[in-house]
Amino acid sequence: MERLGADRWVLRLRRELFASRTDGVITLVLVGLLLGLGGAFLRWALFQADWAVVQVNSTLFAVGRYPLDQQWRLWLLTSLLAAATGLSWGVLRGRDWPPNDRIAAVLLGGLALLVPLFLQLSFALQARWWAIALLLLGVRWAAGRWGNPLPPPWRRGLPLLWPVLYLVGMVLISGGLGLMPVRPSDWGGLLMTLVQSTFAILLCFPLGLALALGRRSELPLLRWGSVIYIEFIRGAPLITLLFLGQNILGFLLPGGLAPDRVWRAAWVLTFFAAAYVAEAVRSGLAAVPRGQMEAARALGLPVPQALIHVVLPQALRVALPATVGQFITLLQDTTLLSLIGLLDLLGVARTVMANPAFLGKNAEVYLLLAVLFWCCCAALGLGSRALETRLNPNTLSAARA
Amino acid sequence: MTNPSSTASGALMIEARGVEKWYPNGFQALRGVDLTVSQGEVVVIMGPSGSGKSTFIRTFNALEDFQKGSIVVDGIALSNDVRNIDAVRREVGMVFQQFNLFPHLTVLENLTLAPVLVRKRPKAEVERRARQLLERVGIHEQAEKYPGQLSGGQQQRVAIARSLSMEPRILLFDEPTSSLDPEMVQEVLAVMQELARDGMTMVVVTHEVRFARQVADRVVLMADGQVVEEAPPEQFFTNPQHERSKQFLSQIA
Repeated sequence: MERLGADRWVLRLRRELFASRTDGVITLVLVGLLLGLGGAFLRWALFQADWAVVQVNSTLFAVGRYPLDQQWRLWLLTSLLAAATGLSWGVLRGRDWPPNDRIAAVLLGGLALLVPLFLQLSFALQARWWAIALLLLGVRWAAGRWGNPLPPPWRRGLPLLWPVLYLVGMVLISGGLGLMPVRPSDWGGLLMTLVQSTFAILLCFPLGLALALGRRSELPLLRWGSVIYIEFIRGAPLITLLFLGQNILGFLLPGGLAPDRVWRAAWVLTFFAAAYVAEAVRSGLAAVPRGQMEAARALGLPVPQALIHVVLPQALRVALPATVGQFITLLQDTTLLSLIGLLDLLGVARTVMANPAFLGKNAEVYLLLAVLFWCCCAALGLGSRALETRLNPNTLSAARA
Repeated sequence: MTNPSSTASGALMIEARGVEKWYPNGFQALRGVDLTVSQGEVVVIMGPSGSGKSTFIRTFNALEDFQKGSIVVDGIALSNDVRNIDAVRREVGMVFQQFNLFPHLTVLENLTLAPVLVRKRPKAEVERRARQLLERVGIHEQAEKYPGQLSGGQQQRVAIARSLSMEPRILLFDEPTSSLDPEMVQEVLAVMQELARDGMTMVVVTHEVRFARQVADRVVLMADGQVVEEAPPEQFFTNPQHERSKQFLSQIA
């Protein structure tokens, strides 16, 4: 069986890469190019690059100037997130570990072992990362073993875990409820980027949904209000809005909501993304045939129920890829915050590169940023694809049949 | 208030008087249409496309509004009062040309959605009744499937069962077989015929002459937003009185 597989592999390689002389030439040229570039990159990364700039500043990149004696709160939050991820993952998949799950588990374990090692963290910190990875995979295993199928009330409650965890996380990060407050201006790096983007992602969705529905409303004031909002926001560059927001949001929002620059920026990101999400949702709504609403209304459903149970489930499924694309853009747009003086990942990177001790180490720093952003965006993309498969009635029933 | 041409006796279920409708672009779709339907009666509306017949029956459950005239459905006057509209829609079921099943819900969920949400019935009871209805239209084995996995004829039968799930007193059919493959028309007509036999009040827009002959108590011919002729099927098909009717019958024969 193994040898047969190997033979097939050779045949397949020949068919796909060397089917004709032209194919062969293209293959050889591309392989040469890839080897050359990859080799050059590896030579640089392994022998020329000086990773000290990352190793020394790893805490700064991760959390900015978050007070050292309060960082246990972030470790706790990371552990909670790992446990919640493992729980959801396990409940969804059950006892099976399909190939994708096995790859994910190996990748996770590998990263937890290698990245702290590469960063030359102290043994205590390295051990924490191992523990967190172990926690995630352990909970995944346990939840799959005993948590599937989950009794219905629990299964329905499980998605609620995430918003609750988000609130807990915000308290852990910013303090209050007996915890020492940590001012937003002391957050930084990846922490700042993630807080800003998750805040905006969570809030821009309901706002965008409301705008999309408003734009299709029969009430002229609502419709024109939504149109003007959406078109104004989409017509202005984010950076302009960020500067504008720093100056006017203080007056526009009730005092407690945007007390400082960090929260004002978060609101601007939210309002900005909402206009684009609204357009994505609108395209989804347009894809649902008129007959769906008519059938629901003919059955006696009032408009809100017809929307919630009939139209929106179909519209949002269509709008999902575009919406997630918008979330990914939003995540990358957080780098603009560095231009208004906030210490997001790029902001931290700029202060590090401005330090005379790390002069000329730009390549290393930018590569780190690229990898970090790629990881976050890839996670979002994977999540959305999983959700899409789950929401598609055709794949659903295929799985059931 | 008796209708001389009605063969069924009973209370008046639909009474439309002088209904006129203009579309926003100024086109007048209905030019003063009258129709009465008694309880247990089956009325078939025929007519060339663009004659306003679909628009007319869609006014009965307020999917289309109208500007002049009056419509009383099961004792409830249709007006702009939203509560009246919701009350009427609970009593009037509708079957569409394009089925309009909810593709993201299973067949069973298509049937249970409205009774649970609107009538607030307990879910177990609604499901039991839904399965009975599916059995009645002959598709109880497909209850857990999604509409996309069924044939057109099966989908339309599910749609009929879905409209029955709200226990309506009147069923409206808007060209229920027009988008079906020919071999599936009969299975849908058979279900409709059975409903008529059970005494359901039905208004059917269709081109199926055989169905009209066998099942209808009355046939109404509409053209250009008006009722041209109204007669029992035998008389309508063998001895039409109006020139427009003769012309229409010669076209569909």
